[in-house]
Amino acid sequence: MAEAVVQFANVSKRFRLGEPHDSLRDVLWSGLARLAGRRSQGHERSVFWALRDVDFVVPRGEALGIIGPNGAGKSTALKLLAGILRPDRGTISVHGRLAALIEVGAGFHGDLTGRENIFLNGTILGMSRPEIRDKLDAIVTFAGLERFLDTPVKRYSSGMYARLGFSIASHVDPDILLVDEVLSVGDAMFRLRCLERMHQLVRDGATLVFVTHCLEQMQSICRRAIVLEGGAVSFEGPARDAVGHYLQAMSRAYITRPPDLPPAAGGDDGDVDSLRLRFLDGAGEEVLWVRAREPLRAELTFRLKRPVDRLVIELNLRSSPDDQLLSLNSGRAGRFLAARAGTHTVELSLAGLPLRGGQYFWNVRLWDADQGTAAADTPFCYPLVVDDEGLATGALALEHEWSFGKRTSAAHEYAAPVAAAPRGGRPVAHPTTR
Amino acid sequence: MEATKAVRAVPITNGLSELIRYRHLLVSLAWRDVRVRYKQSLLGIAWAVLLPLSMMLIFTFVFTRAIDAAKVLDVNMPYALYAYTGLVPWTFFSMSLSGCVNSLVANRNLVTKVYFPREVFPLASIAGSAVDFAIAMTMLAVLAAYFHCFSDWSFRPRATLLFLPVVVLVQVVLTTGLGMLLAMANLFYRDVRQVLSAVVQLWMFVSAVVVPVPRDGSWLARIIAINPMVPLIDAYRDCVVHGRLPGPAGFFYTTVVALVLLVGGWSCFRRASYRFAECI
Repeated sequence: MAEAVVQFANVSKRFRLGEPHDSLRDVLWSGLARLAGRRSQGHERSVFWALRDVDFVVPRGEALGIIGPNGAGKSTALKLLAGILRPDRGTISVHGRLAALIEVGAGFHGDLTGRENIFLNGTILGMSRPEIRDKLDAIVTFAGLERFLDTPVKRYSSGMYARLGFSIASHVDPDILLVDEVLSVGDAMFRLRCLERMHQLVRDGATLVFVTHCLEQMQSICRRAIVLEGGAVSFEGPARDAVGHYLQAMSRAYITRPPDLPPAAGGDDGDVDSLRLRFLDGAGEEVLWVRAREPLRAELTFRLKRPVDRLVIELNLRSSPDDQLLSLNSGRAGRFLAARAGTHTVELSLAGLPLRGGQYFWNVRLWDADQGTAAADTPFCYPLVVDDEGLATGALALEHEWSFGKRTSAAHEYAAPVAAAPRGGRPVAHPTTR
Repeated sequence: MEATKAVRAVPITNGLSELIRYRHLLVSLAWRDVRVRYKQSLLGIAWAVLLPLSMMLIFTFVFTRAIDAAKVLDVNMPYALYAYTGLVPWTFFSMSLSGCVNSLVANRNLVTKVYFPREVFPLASIAGSAVDFAIAMTMLAVLAAYFHCFSDWSFRPRATLLFLPVVVLVQVVLTTGLGMLLAMANLFYRDVRQVLSAVVQLWMFVSAVVVPVPRDGSWLARIIAINPMVPLIDAYRDCVVHGRLPGPAGFFYTTVVALVLLVGGWSCFRRASYRFAECI
C-alpha cells in the first residue's frame, strides 16, 4: 500500500451540549454561588461524543468517501482533519499541503472587488500571492467573470459569487483536498464542473477526502469509502459496498420510529382518523429497506369515519421536496373502493422500484371521487430506502440487456475485447463512470 | 510539512514558523482591513491623517484657547506638536487594540470553516493599523516644519530619528501581546470589548498623550509609573522632537513589559486556540 498521508488513530471528539457562559456576569454569579456553597444549577452540561475511536488511513493518491446519516460525525471528522478542531483523544497526522473546501468563498468581503477577493480567498486557502498572480487568468476564465473582475462582489449575483469561490478553490493545487458538500450549492452546470475538476485533481495524483450525501457523486469519484454511524466507523471498504451498508444504516435509523407516526392527515374534520402505511418484502416481512429489483408490497390500513361510495387511493413518491418521481392512483387504473365506515386494508404490489439507491418518501392521499374532495392527505413522511446494488449511476436502475455480436455492420464498431465480453448470466450490465 | 495535532500546547517556536508560512495571508487580511476601512469614502486614506489631526486641533483649542493651561502644561514645544506626537502613536495603539479585540469574533466564519494559525487575525489588525500610523507619521514632518517656520520654536532633525524603528517595534510587541490576550478573552466573554473601550479612554489621559503626567514622586505619580505607555510616548517625542535618546530606565521597563506580555499572551493564545472554533 502507498504511504499514508492521512491517518486517524483512535480519534474521539466530544462537544458540550447547551450554552456555555456567554457573559462575564454569568461567570461571576456562578462563581459566587459556588463560594456560597451552592451547587450551580443548569450548568451541569451533558457531553456529546461526536466521534468515538475513529480509525482510518488514506494512502497517497486515494479518494476516500465519508458517508453517513445526518449527525453521524462526518463534518466533525473533516474539521478535525483540517485542524479547525482538535481531538479530545487519539492522534491525527497529515502529511502534505492540505486544502479544505468546507465553504465556497469563505472570507469573501462584499466591499472588495472580484480581483481583490481572489487574492484574499486564495491566501486563505493557502496559496501564496505570486502563485495567485500566475493563476489569476485561469481562475477568472474558469469562473467566466472577466467583465466583472473589478466590480465589488456585493454586486455579484449569488451564482457569480459561487462560481468565483469554486474557481479559486479548484485552482489550489493541494496534496490533500477535503471537500464537504460544497457541490450541493449552485446550478447543475456548476455542480458538473466541480465534479469534473475533482476527477481531474484525483487523476493528477491528489489525495481526496470527500464528505457527501450524494451517493452517486461519491461512487463516481471514490474507490473506497467509510460509513459513519453515531460517531463510529460502521463500515470501511469499496465504495459500492459502503453505499449498500449506508442505505441499510439509514433504514435502521428510521425503523426505530413508529411507522404510523403521523395519524390521519386532513385535519381534525378529516374523514380518516388513523392511517398506516407499511412495506412488505416477498416473504411478507415489514421492511424499510428494499432492493431495487425485488418485488415489493405496500400495505395501507386506514379507518374511515363515514362511508364513501367511490374511494380513490393514491400513493406518491418523492426523493426531495421538489422532485415527484411517481404517482400511483387507483382511480386512473379504474379501481374504486366502495367503503363503509370502519377499518380498511389496501395492498399495492410493485414488481420493483427501479430507482437509484437512496432514501425516498411516500405520501398517501384518499379521494372521494364523487365529491372530488380529499378524505386524507398525509405529508411525505413514510420513508423507504432503496438499494440499487450498484445498478444505477443515473437516476434509474432499469433492468436491461445488451446483445453483442449478433449483427456485424462495420468491423470497427465492435472492438475485439468488448465483443469477447461474456454475455448472458446476469441480465444486467451497468456502465460506470469509473 | 508535517503536523501532528494531538499535542496540547504547541510551542511558540512552531507558531513562528507556521506564521512565516502564512505570511501571505497576513498581508491579505491586513490589506483587506485597510481597503474596507476606506472603501466608498470620498477622502479615503486621507482619514489616516485627518483623524489624529482633528483630535490635535480639538485638544489644542481646549488647552490653549478655552482654558489657558499653557503654564500648567509644561511641554517644551508648541502644544499642537506635543499633542500630535502623542496622538499618532496612541491612535495606532488604541486602533490596534480595538481591532484585535474584535478580530476573532468578526471573522467567525473563517475561524469555524478554515484552518490557519489564529494569530493571523490579531496580527492583521495591527498591521492594518500600522498603515494608518505610517501615513500619519509623515504628516509629523510637515507639522514640525510649520512650527519651525512660523513660531519661535526651532527644530532640527537629529540622528536619534534612527532610533525610531526600535520604539515602534517595542510598541508593536506590546500591542501584539495585549491584542492576543484581548482577542482571546473577547471570544469567550463578549464583555471584554465594552470594558476595553472605556479603559482605553481613561488610559489615554494617564499616558502623557495630550497632558503631561505628574512625575513628582507623589502617590499618583507612583501609580502612573506602572503604565508602560508613558515611557513609550515619551520615547517618540525624545527621538523625533527633542533629538535625544529615550530615558534608559523607563524605556527598558516598557521593553521588558512588552516582551513579557508577548510571550505570555502568545502562549495563552496558542494554548486556547484549539478551542476557538467550538467556543466562538
